[in-house]
Amino acid sequence: MNSVPVFAFTCPVKTNSGNKALEHLPVELAGLNACRPLIITSAKAVGRKAVRTLQNAFGDSGMTLGLFDGVTKTADLGLIEHLKNICLEKKYDAIIALGGYDIVDAAKVLNLAVSLDTADAHKLSPETPVRRHLSPLVVVPTAAASGLETSKFAHFSRRIYSSEYLAPNLVVIDPRLTRAADGKTIAATGLAALGRAAESHISADANPFRDAYSFAAIRFVKENLPAAVIKPADKKASLAILNAASMSGCAASDANSARLHKLGQVFYEMQHIPQGVIMGMCLPHVLGDYLQEGINDLASLLLPLVGEDEFSRTPAAKRADAALAVLGRFLADLYGALGKDLPRNLREAGVPGYIMEDILDVLDKDNEGPYLRTVVERIAE
Amino acid sequence: MLLPDYYEFCCRVKIVAGHDALEKIPELLTERGAKRPLIITDKGVASAGLIDIVSAAQKDRLFADLIADNVPPDSDLRVVNQLAKLYKENDCDAIIAVGGGSVMDTAKGVNIVVSENAEDLMAFSGVGALKRPLKPLIAVPTTAGTGSEVTQVAVIKDHEKHLKMAFGSYFLLPDISVLDSRMTMTMPPLITAMTGMDALSHAVEAYYCLQKNPLSDAHSLAAVRMIYHYLPIVAENPSDRNARLSMAVGACLAGIAFSNSMVGLVHNLGHATGSVCGVPHGICMAIMLPYGLEYNMHKREEAIAGLLLPMAGEAIYRETPPAQRADKVVSLIRQLNADLNTITGGRHARFFKEVKDREGKPLVPREVLPQIARAALSDGASIYNPEDTDYEDNLMVLEAAWEGIPLDRNKIKRG
Amino acid sequence: MSIVKDIPSAKKPLKRAYVGIFLWFTGRAIQAAAKVDKEVKKEFDNLPDDFTFSLGCLPNGPWMVIGKRNGAVKYLGGNPSQHKVHVRLAIKSVDAAFLILSFQESTALATARNRLITDGEVPYALAVIRILDIVEVYLLPKIIAGLAVKRYPKQWSAGRKLGGRIGIYARTILGI
Ligand SMILES: [Fe+2]
Repeated sequence: MNSVPVFAFTCPVKTNSGNKALEHLPVELAGLNACRPLIITSAKAVGRKAVRTLQNAFGDSGMTLGLFDGVTKTADLGLIEHLKNICLEKKYDAIIALGGYDIVDAAKVLNLAVSLDTADAHKLSPETPVRRHLSPLVVVPTAAASGLETSKFAHFSRRIYSSEYLAPNLVVIDPRLTRAADGKTIAATGLAALGRAAESHISADANPFRDAYSFAAIRFVKENLPAAVIKPADKKASLAILNAASMSGCAASDANSARLHKLGQVFYEMQHIPQGVIMGMCLPHVLGDYLQEGINDLASLLLPLVGEDEFSRTPAAKRADAALAVLGRFLADLYGALGKDLPRNLREAGVPGYIMEDILDVLDKDNEGPYLRTVVERIAE
Repeated sequence: MLLPDYYEFCCRVKIVAGHDALEKIPELLTERGAKRPLIITDKGVASAGLIDIVSAAQKDRLFADLIADNVPPDSDLRVVNQLAKLYKENDCDAIIAVGGGSVMDTAKGVNIVVSENAEDLMAFSGVGALKRPLKPLIAVPTTAGTGSEVTQVAVIKDHEKHLKMAFGSYFLLPDISVLDSRMTMTMPPLITAMTGMDALSHAVEAYYCLQKNPLSDAHSLAAVRMIYHYLPIVAENPSDRNARLSMAVGACLAGIAFSNSMVGLVHNLGHATGSVCGVPHGICMAIMLPYGLEYNMHKREEAIAGLLLPMAGEAIYRETPPAQRADKVVSLIRQLNADLNTITGGRHARFFKEVKDREGKPLVPREVLPQIARAALSDGASIYNPEDTDYEDNLMVLEAAWEGIPLDRNKIKRG
Repeated sequence: MSIVKDIPSAKKPLKRAYVGIFLWFTGRAIQAAAKVDKEVKKEFDNLPDDFTFSLGCLPNGPWMVIGKRNGAVKYLGGNPSQHKVHVRLAIKSVDAAFLILSFQESTALATARNRLITDGEVPYALAVIRILDIVEVYLLPKIIAGLAVKRYPKQWSAGRKLGGRIGIYARTILGI
């Protein structure tokens, strides 16, 4: 009898985080045998200053950088084909994605096209087999991150690519780039990290390797998000939140089910609402349902949420409920601090009725469609 | 949780763990487009029947002539080159390394030679000389201790030229580590105890050493919890497969933690004792661990206190006043050594004067302590220890560890 | 016009200059300390005759080189490629070097923070680190050196500290 099923975990991402992290990039790239990186970003999304900060980090390296700063939400395989041809012609040997969300998704798919030497990138699909390491990919996140930047997933043109090899080789988290313009942005990043970390722990079988990432992420969000929301320019707090986001993506690569993620993703794609905003609304409901279903344990989440002292004071049988209660208070405080800036339901988020219908259509196609619908109903008002 | 001003963390190894994890190897090879693996191991592993288990799990992938079991206890350049030749002549496309530290080192060396088509391995020694991924390497550890299935270093000796080549690169990390309870099931209690204490020392040292960071910490805490709980259980019941698997997982977590946060005084003096007196590494770790904690206590009290909950659980944590938690951790580790000593019928040594060879002769005579203290000055682990160490510091710690008395913390020099 | 722009990397002349000057100064100070301080002298005595080490920045310098030549410790300039180097201490970028050499980050912390790559035989590298620590204690006022080394040696006699410091400063500046 095997009481423990075989479990696996992998996190191909190296983390460099902190003061002057960007300045180590030339050495890191050299270690990956790359000397001619192409920066993929959106000047509109991350701002010219962030692009300049990244460029300046290469000062004294003698490297010449390529820069494409026009990634948009509508990026498609046509753009990938175009960029792939430029990469091959100009011999770029690494990709640096500056920013979050679609920017990184595009960079991952571009890396796939370049590395597999795909004759026509239009033919790429989630079914394209990937059996070997791709070219070096570095992610440099800014304040607005979904957490999936470090994961093995790429959501691109309404399709989901998934492979261990899609994950970046390196994530560089630099405090000069992680400060948010406003509290809402960093709140959304933090809530997405929290949701992904919590869900990856609860939805899948016990796995201490994955939990190392998810527990650290939860703890960072709990301890730093309130400060980061009140003072979005606070370097330390926002750096911690982006660390949490990065860790949550590593954990999410191993999640069994991704109810929170699916809900966040569909509203992001259809209505451009940052994923964390929706994930925050759904979090108490979805976790509560996991608790009811008795899947894995919610009780152990209490430790990263409240720390050793309170955890050991709480009787074992009460920990799961205590964890839910702590999360509820945590969310309430965030909503209180941000007021109208952080919508607490779909009505406040201003999702028009006709889009709601489209969203429900998309959810219905999911194998957990009926369940996801019930969550949407619960966050309507 | 503290976020350092700057940190780096990396463990790219895919971990596959379970009671029948070996059966996943064919699938893992296919995912990487590999068909003909070369199995590298040593005679001890093979004669314990472990290769038969690995082979049986390969089914149609097994090539009996592709099993090399001639890795010596000390890695050897000649063997590396010979195995590389075997790999090339047989058109192999992956390596499965089954064994302890020396097997892993040898396999990593072979991988460099076959992937880079290296004539001279020396050209790839040092830090960062490797620039791209090597051939798929699957590590199957047969002790729950060294953590070498997740480390990015390898040491190969050239016995003809009396050279020691060290290699350091993230590309040396195995692609996959397969942790299977069957691989450690036959380990006798004494070896189980010492390799387990090595693993515990990795987890603990990683938690106080200078490169500690949120991710190494998370791995340390999980490792400490598992190892502290399961080590006495496996020492007592060697065939408890759940406990065996937990030890393998704990040792691997500890390996990930220390290869990122590094190790300090315990390994520093332990390495030196090993090289001067030939004491097995795990025994040195078991003896030194309480002293590493005591020596660094004034700089790392809070971190050390943080180990109490994962070790002792909620009740003892609650009952121990905050100011005494760090001390409690030290005394629990001393108690663990005492328990292992009892379980092994007195063979698990608790201090250096207890360490004896097969004939019962003391392995660490008191007179050699100065020599050990001096040798420790040439060991790299001192760099990452929170507090500075010089010759006198080393000697003071060694004398206490020889006698088996707690360190007089008033005598520790502070800046 | 292509949608991808090529941008040559900028230069950092000021930081480079500071780091360069500091490396020069440290190099001369080590040469002086090898004459004045017993411990530094002993460390060098234990190293091989042609022992050479370099300290500097990746990827393009600046560097400084110290070597034992005919029994004397010499600052050998800023070009490591002219020498066979036994130990190389490489800081990952000029900016990281600036942090270290402007004492915002101690050498121990820089190592802890993965900013310093040490290459070479470990016992030699450790000797070099010990030498650098002692020289830092001499060169810097206590409050700064206390940050720069793990354990500020308060057991040194006032005479060793003061006498040594004056001697090293004078020799560093005069280059003797
Ligand atoms: Fe060890």
